[in-house]
Amino acid sequence: MEIQDKMIDATKEIFSTMVMMDISLEEVMESHGKLTDTITAMIGLAGTHRGVLAVHFPYSVAMAITSAFLMMDVEEMNDDVHDAMGEIANMLGGNVKTILSEKGRDIDLSMPSTISGSEYSFQSDNDVEKVIVRFGTEKGSFMVELDLEK
Amino acid sequence: MGKNVLLVDDSKTMRIIIGRSLRQAGLDFDNIFEAADGLEALEVLEKESVDIVLSDINMPNMDGISFLREKSSREAMKDIPVLMISTETGEDIIGEAKSLGAVGAIKKPFTPDKVNEVLGPLL
Repeated sequence: MEIQDKMIDATKEIFSTMVMMDISLEEVMESHGKLTDTITAMIGLAGTHRGVLAVHFPYSVAMAITSAFLMMDVEEMNDDVHDAMGEIANMLGGNVKTILSEKGRDIDLSMPSTISGSEYSFQSDNDVEKVIVRFGTEKGSFMVELDLEK
Repeated sequence: MGKNVLLVDDSKTMRIIIGRSLRQAGLDFDNIFEAADGLEALEVLEKESVDIVLSDINMPNMDGISFLREKSSREAMKDIPVLMISTETGEDIIGEAKSLGAVGAIKKPFTPDKVNEVLGPLL
């Protein structure tokens, strides 16, 4: 199974078991443009594989996911949204680590971190292999991105 | 049930979800204490009566493995069971956790049924 297929399965599992939100696979991509009104949560990978696992959520999607996660209305980009998006990145990062390292000691994961803004680019300075998967929700689309150094 | 549980996770969202999963699994604890890392968890265990700890592994300040190591060195709390709930499922890491006294592990993401299946027999 390709790593992108495992990323897709892992994302669907997280949303069906923990977020309780329907998502649909929209597209597997190799690049994306500038991100607007978006929050990005990311996990760094170090060791035998180096890179970053990132999830990019438009604000409206991020607030809808946080509302579903916490079972309460969230209508502003507050700490809860950052924490919830970080936890989704954390769970996906753990899955990617399992895919790349069965025993778990040859890859270290960083703590999740988040950034957000009205317009920004997300790109690596190093030569990386990118896998980007876009998913759809009722509130819009979001992307899961894995950048692994070659 | 008459038991107390301590949830240790740096994510407030995850602590809320674990607490909700316990209720959905029919595991009604008298008190659900929370800590954001291993250091806070040790402080709670010093002050409160806790029957079981559910702990993440990757946390700032003191991670779950260091927490297990420190807890096992303290006579008053060394026998309190700890169940790991983490994205970490590698056999090396889970093996180390178990060697330090962890009684099992649940992988994130999880369902309330999974929590019940693993945690239920420990209570």
